[in-house]
Amino acid sequence: MIWTIGGGKGGSGKSFITANIGICLSKLGVRVILIDADLGGANLHTLLGISPPALSLSDFMKRRVSNLCDILIPTSIPNLQLLSGAQDLLNASDAKSVQKRKLLRAIQGLEADTTIVDLGAGNSLSVLDFFLMSDGGIMVVTPEPTAIENTYRFLKSAFYRRLRQSVSSYPVKNLIDGAMDRKNEMNIQNPHDLIKAVRRIDEEDAERIIEEVESFHPNLILNQVRSKKDIEIGFSIRSACQRYFGIHLHYLGYVVYDQEVSHSIRRRRPLVLENARSRAAQCITEIASKLANSHPMSLRI
Amino acid sequence: MKQIEEQTYYEILEVNPHATAKEIQRAYENAKETYHRDSLAIYSLFSEEEVNKIQAAIEESYRVLVDEASRKIYDQSHLQISDGPKWEQPVEVQAISPKKKAPLSFTDLSINAGEEIYRGKTLREIRERIGIDLKAISTETKISTKYLEWIEEEALEKLPAAVYLKGFLKSYAQSLGLDPQKVVEGYFKFLSENRKDRSSL
Repeated sequence: MIWTIGGGKGGSGKSFITANIGICLSKLGVRVILIDADLGGANLHTLLGISPPALSLSDFMKRRVSNLCDILIPTSIPNLQLLSGAQDLLNASDAKSVQKRKLLRAIQGLEADTTIVDLGAGNSLSVLDFFLMSDGGIMVVTPEPTAIENTYRFLKSAFYRRLRQSVSSYPVKNLIDGAMDRKNEMNIQNPHDLIKAVRRIDEEDAERIIEEVESFHPNLILNQVRSKKDIEIGFSIRSACQRYFGIHLHYLGYVVYDQEVSHSIRRRRPLVLENARSRAAQCITEIASKLANSHPMSLRI
Repeated sequence: MKQIEEQTYYEILEVNPHATAKEIQRAYENAKETYHRDSLAIYSLFSEEEVNKIQAAIEESYRVLVDEASRKIYDQSHLQISDGPKWEQPVEVQAISPKKKAPLSFTDLSINAGEEIYRGKTLREIRERIGIDLKAISTETKISTKYLEWIEEEALEKLPAAVYLKGFLKSYAQSLGLDPQKVVEGYFKFLSENRKDRSSL
């Protein structure tokens, strides 16, 4: 099972949530590999209290290491291994698509019950492809307009990229590219308009798009919530996504704003180990249980 | 994947076709909150025109479904309940911690997006629309029907001290599926405005 954790905005807590969910799952007996795919700003190792590793993804991408397993770093936590992000490669985020495809295949071939990939911020094609290749893409968002705006931008990009990959005809691919721009000449304002327009070109592709829409189920975690109203935003986002995209978004849960989070990060000690009774740690544990329950066969208790 | 024009009123309010009046009331308030112009959840996603269209559809759906007679007519003409719209309960967050009595559980909440003042008259209207009598509320909340009547009648001189009234209003709101905090705030706002009016006479 491969989960990717992404979302449009930097600082929304993706790495923090990745590290702590990974630990919770490993404590449940799940063999977990955490991958830091934030190729331009990797710091998952810091959140796990590990010094910058000697070998990282950049060694694999620069062919200094041929097998991804060779750069896996064991941690002090049983069942948990880390694959660190590119440390010394300033332009790693601009990796060539051939390299990225190779990396995707290698990740899919890793031996683990659960692999959690921490994606970088933004909507670059690498991030979108990683998000889409997983069994479950999770977006982490804070209840702020800027974060929500970026998340929708990210979701739109992932959504249209997924649709584009599903169709065969080039005129339809071009139409989808055009639809990304709201001021497009075809007056396609939303996915409903797009399907109508595609149907006029290619009936089969229109059906394929509908199938893709119905099978696309991204997940959402709201981070740093401070009130009941903030928690409800998750349900409202789910409703809005259903109405706008026609997709069913799973609201996995929320993590409350908690000073203990920043304390644990400063101490470079994961929250769920440092202060498992804190409110934020309890929220993360609940989310991790939900993920574990989504594939109970892999539990090794 | 249906456009809003093609959806049933139940789909628009995101409720089961077998929903009770109380569930419809709650769904309506949730929908109003979600598609409120200032809602964070729709920020940057919909155009103004789309928001207006959604809001109008929500209001129309509620108007029809909250009234028993008009709902019956609508059901007969639009629904085959046995294979009605696909419906999924909002279970994700509750499923995370089934044992915990979630203080922040979604189902325990209801929202009112507008600046509506929950005066006694409003509460009575909502209760009657839902079809619950005062006796049932009294049994559920353990509040005497007399106090509930005075709250609805806005019998200011008979209402108990503020601290008790707050508690009564909270329980009453919960039994109607309304947001307790908003009801208390709304009712007290009404009381204070009423007092101002009286003193200015």
